[in-house]
Amino acid sequence: MCAPVKYNIRGPALIPRMKTKHRLYYITLFSVVLLGLIATGVFQFWPHSIESSSDWAVEKRSVHDVPVVRLPADSPLPERGDLSCRMHTCFDVYRCGFNPKNKIKVYIYSLKKYVDDFGVPVSNTISREYNELLTAISDSDFYTDDINRACLFVPSIDVLNQNTLRIKETAQALAQLARWDRGTNQLLFNMLPGEPPDYNTALDVPRDRALLAGGGFSTWTYRQGYDVSIPVYSSLSAEVDLPERGPGPRRYFLLSSQMALHPEYRSDLEALQAKHEESVLVLEKCTNLSEGVLSTRKRCHKDQVFDYPQVLQEASFCMVLRGARLGQAVLSDVLQAGCVPVIIADSYILPFSEVLDWKRASVVIPEEKMRDMYSVLRSIPQRQIEEMQRQLLCRAARRASCPESWPWVHGKEIINDRIYPYAAISYEEWNDPPAVKWSSVSNPLFLPLIPPQSQGFTAIVLTYDRVESLFRVITEVSKVPSLSKLLVVWNNQNKNPPEDSLWPKIRVPLKVVRTAENKLSNRFFPYDEIETEAVLAIDDDIIMLTADELQFGYEVWREFPDRLVGYPGRLHLWDHEMSKWKYESEWTNEVSMVLTGVAFYHKYFNYLYTYKMPGDIKNWVDAHMNCEDIAMNFLVANVTGKAVIKVTPRKKFKCPECTAIDGLSLDQTHMVERSECINKFASVFGTMPLKVVEHRADPVLYKDDFPEKLKSFPNIGSL
Amino acid sequence: MQSRRRKYLWLIFSASWLLLVLLGAPRLRQLAIPPSLRPRTLTSWPRWLDQELLPNFVEPEELTKDPCPPSCSTRQWQRQRPGCLMETCFDTSRCQSHGFKVFVYPVGLTQPISEIHHKVLASIEGSGYHTANPEEACLFVLPGDALSPQLLPLWNGGQNHLIFHLHPGSWPDLGFDLGQAMLARASPKPETLRLGFDVALPLFPQSYPQRGGSRGQLAHLIPPPGEDLLAFESQLDARVTGSSNHLDQSTILIISDHHGEASEHHRDGPCKQDHNTDQSEDQKRLYNSTFCFIPPNCHLGSFHLLQALKAGCIPVLLSSGWELPFSEVIDWGTATIMIDERHLLQIKPALQELPPARILALRQQTQFLWDAYFSSVEKIVHTTLEIIRDRIFRAAARPWLLWNAPPGGLLALPTFSTQPGDFPFYYLQRGSRPSGKFSALIWVGALDQPPLKLIQEVAGSQHCAQILVLWSNDSPPPPQGKWPQTTMPLMVIEGRKKKSDRFFPYSAIGTDAILSLDAHSSLSTSEVDFAFVVWQSFPERIVGFQTQSHFWDEIKGSWGYTDQRPNEFSMVLMDAAFYHRYYHVLFTHFLPAPLRDLVDELSECEDILMNFLVAEVTKLPPIKVPQRKPLQEVLQHAQGEQPSRDCISKFASWFGHMPLVHSQLRLDPVLFKDQVSVLRKKYRHLERL
Repeated sequence: MCAPVKYNIRGPALIPRMKTKHRLYYITLFSVVLLGLIATGVFQFWPHSIESSSDWAVEKRSVHDVPVVRLPADSPLPERGDLSCRMHTCFDVYRCGFNPKNKIKVYIYSLKKYVDDFGVPVSNTISREYNELLTAISDSDFYTDDINRACLFVPSIDVLNQNTLRIKETAQALAQLARWDRGTNQLLFNMLPGEPPDYNTALDVPRDRALLAGGGFSTWTYRQGYDVSIPVYSSLSAEVDLPERGPGPRRYFLLSSQMALHPEYRSDLEALQAKHEESVLVLEKCTNLSEGVLSTRKRCHKDQVFDYPQVLQEASFCMVLRGARLGQAVLSDVLQAGCVPVIIADSYILPFSEVLDWKRASVVIPEEKMRDMYSVLRSIPQRQIEEMQRQLLCRAARRASCPESWPWVHGKEIINDRIYPYAAISYEEWNDPPAVKWSSVSNPLFLPLIPPQSQGFTAIVLTYDRVESLFRVITEVSKVPSLSKLLVVWNNQNKNPPEDSLWPKIRVPLKVVRTAENKLSNRFFPYDEIETEAVLAIDDDIIMLTADELQFGYEVWREFPDRLVGYPGRLHLWDHEMSKWKYESEWTNEVSMVLTGVAFYHKYFNYLYTYKMPGDIKNWVDAHMNCEDIAMNFLVANVTGKAVIKVTPRKKFKCPECTAIDGLSLDQTHMVERSECINKFASVFGTMPLKVVEHRADPVLYKDDFPEKLKSFPNIGSL
Repeated sequence: MQSRRRKYLWLIFSASWLLLVLLGAPRLRQLAIPPSLRPRTLTSWPRWLDQELLPNFVEPEELTKDPCPPSCSTRQWQRQRPGCLMETCFDTSRCQSHGFKVFVYPVGLTQPISEIHHKVLASIEGSGYHTANPEEACLFVLPGDALSPQLLPLWNGGQNHLIFHLHPGSWPDLGFDLGQAMLARASPKPETLRLGFDVALPLFPQSYPQRGGSRGQLAHLIPPPGEDLLAFESQLDARVTGSSNHLDQSTILIISDHHGEASEHHRDGPCKQDHNTDQSEDQKRLYNSTFCFIPPNCHLGSFHLLQALKAGCIPVLLSSGWELPFSEVIDWGTATIMIDERHLLQIKPALQELPPARILALRQQTQFLWDAYFSSVEKIVHTTLEIIRDRIFRAAARPWLLWNAPPGGLLALPTFSTQPGDFPFYYLQRGSRPSGKFSALIWVGALDQPPLKLIQEVAGSQHCAQILVLWSNDSPPPPQGKWPQTTMPLMVIEGRKKKSDRFFPYSAIGTDAILSLDAHSSLSTSEVDFAFVVWQSFPERIVGFQTQSHFWDEIKGSWGYTDQRPNEFSMVLMDAAFYHRYYHVLFTHFLPAPLRDLVDELSECEDILMNFLVAEVTKLPPIKVPQRKPLQEVLQHAQGEQPSRDCISKFASWFGHMPLVHSQLRLDPVLFKDQVSVLRKKYRHLERL
């Protein structure tokens, strides 16, 4: 073991010269140290992989090695499903707790093989589809392996297909699960319920209070708000990679591909085909296929052989007729192919109908009306058909990433919404294709409501140190009848605002807010002092506006409370030479912005500006001390999709002698900077939200040949 | 030598030990911590070695073989299954030939009925659904809910019958066999509702207004500072502490509306009312709170829900022990906060955490729902009927948006289109714009000459797509060659010579926008162009030139209108106005025939009715654009005719309230009458007199 080392560079070898007693001692010690070192090394390098890789925890074994559980014949049986179960009666939300993220936690029981007293298995251990479904749950955020923290429990007992299991024994197997508790919070997945000859529309296995995600519910077995209707999975389309087909006319108008139809239906269909030879295609089972061809992948019409499911893409409408069961696997094929399903199955609860709006992607026809089906379908305009095809495309795209698991993807979210309804996903999020969302807006102030005049408005004057001009503005604004409060935002930290006694005496409350930092965004802060919906933002140097003009502006705002209603109008233009946006302050025929140097708007936009401004715009504005008004125009136009309103012809605001374009704006560098702002904001918003209009709002009788003294707003400046 | 060797050895040992300790200590420390405190690895579902070999849950062959037994035929299948569905218990073929017509049994047939049932019947009889001929009827409505329907001549097992059950009792407490009749039931329990067949109604008192009703009362879209978070918190607290045992209680409830009149008496309410609270105090709290707690499992809840909607107080509902009204079409998640009873303790933090954007949307939606569906008996009844209509004509049923966005399902008729893009209301939501063309519709009345000059001016507009002449003159229209030569397609329609014809939805109209004109109107091309550009910004409103204003006449105690108050307006005259073609559909199919008859009889009434209609839909005033014609001339012209005041009062009483809204503004071109060179102005011809 330890050969004497004869040639040691450093000198004579140590060990051979020692006494044997010592030698033994040292050898033991040495090996202990070595072992220790090796062990530490292993620990040092391997533990990382233990923590980071989840594969480490995944067992690698065969399905056949799972533990076997013997069920005595007299083990307890759950009660039959309770039809009156609803979330608030049969579901235990306490198990879900109050989770700040409003997400439920799902536990999966470990896989076992159940046998009866004689060792005969109760069912197939697990099917491929159920295994994939459970894998998908396990990979999702909802999954937990801690039975004590779970709110929803998914048995690993496979009940997807009722025909592959023994009903009584399966029920007994369910009842002995660790947390069965009369089925409370247990979720079962079933796609093929019922058995001949009656074919019940819900799983026949007694399951007590368990929730059922079932394919083929009818209105009588479906517990609204409790069960979840799921589609029947079809391996036919899942295994074939169908190319995406855009909306548009197809070769056939109507196609029927189902093979086992009731003779009544088949004769109806054949009659239809005889009548509309060209546009209707009724496919049947192929009788003379050569050896080795999968009969499920072929459909025939007379002598013609078609590939299935590819042929579904050739039709605008595809039939989904009720068979013995309500839920038909063909629906999955049809949806995958982007063919608009024509569903003829009375009382069928369509998959995920709780959240998916099937009206937008399918046609449902009562069984009695089957004979009129063709004319009903023909009366649907092509435009609408294409809209439905677009809907299907988007749904297919959403599923594409998880073809097998999509029943689960939807199912868990539905249940999640039920438990935390206030955090639920909205209709639009479920049903609107992302493409539509891109161009559409949902106006936060969508209610057509003219606010009462009596509420008045709050004027917010942003000021730094121009006290004299400020006092003049305050005096002028206080003459406006609808003013209800005046707020001065004192943006100068180095200087105190004038004493109370020096301020002009006005008839409404005047409040001074001191800011912590000289920032332009201070003017758009949603101060608690603002009690009215309407806000008038006004600079401390806007002295030329008359009370008539301001009061009229408020009246205009009342009619357009969701818009910026302002006096100085500006325009953005596309500079073709430079390929970028340009700011324009000339007198043009168009307006796309109003400056917030003096403008009315809804208080809500202050909240949006302060808390919801996209990107770094807010900081950018504060850093550059410029363009807060352009940012506000972008923000409002982006959320409302509407243009600004410029009121009155007024173009001069600061002093009568000034040139048409006021002080600051004259500066050429200023113009360049403003143009830069537009380009910067357009890139942050990812679009140009500003809308160009050719109108401004004037009083009804403005410049009309009518006695001035009879006009409501006679004092409207012309420049 | 020995000592040196030993030193070497010790050195090596100590170095090794040091190394061992340094490297091993952290690991040892980890081992020392109990496993429960260490970050746990998630045990996920096993990846089976043989997962590729697992059997399918069903073989594809088996699915395609899916045997269809004889019982699979429609008739057999229906017989086996109890309960009612639209497909099995409703004969839709009755509705094909005459459309959705409703027959109401005469009241005399049965015992006296309550006031509320009278209102329900009146709402149907005054509407466009009503037919007096049972042969034409698609739906039969019973005059009340306490009678023996078997005596009715057309009962037929209840098929196509609708019963309004407005006094909630315990199911099936009707006193007779319902058979295949549909039940529109106030505040039903979910388990007694036949899904997709019965209709859930709100519970409303006898004194509920038959039509019109008050508008929503929300004053602030954003909760103003100082507003209470949650009203009726005491009831919530009572539930939390369990001091009120709400189960199995049988108390007599007194529901009163906001006038304080006791109006309904019920037994078997599964909840208790707090008798100590003062009604007016309750009202104040409704209006000063952001959220209102709605007591669950209780008939009162349904009524409270309506009051909260009206006040703009966001209802906080517990998982419903009763079906929310019209839940088939109304997405209640957009207007209410639903919470599980067992999460009660968390409700206040949850409400406090709601983002302002959500609160803003919820508050607005409560007002929209109230105005659209609940403010009067008529609206509740019509919504019920429209839900049934949507079920019968499934292919033409309203999509979600039409029910859940302003102006609401009653005003968005699916007979016009089921595509939101065709209506004037949803351009924003769809991110689209109205088409850039208009059709001119010129009305040629009895005394008018063919409007040759007008046609030329209108045809000069770059936005004009076609010109339709509505010939209502006694003399035959001039032959083809006599019309002015334009490139514009010109079509002459010979009408019935009735005033209401000018708002008929002619299929020849091929654009979204209509320019309605009289033969004697005088408009220039640039006036037309500018008005149309403005209309594109406001496609849901009427954009016109000449205006009138309504007012309340104190002396006569009635509504009047005038053009002598030129500082404001609430109507524009239809002899020159742009609007969306959908309003023709509403005018013809939404308004009842008696109103249109009135228009045919009285002069100048068609303008008023159209303005009423659009204002009712949009809740906004029309838009005025400038006209070249001097005002004095306009005023003199109008003074020639004595306006008929009758119709405005009649319309106001039919609508149940005054929908018109005043405006004080006119939209002018940006440089209108500015002191700049005329050459810079786009619409310079507008200023030349």
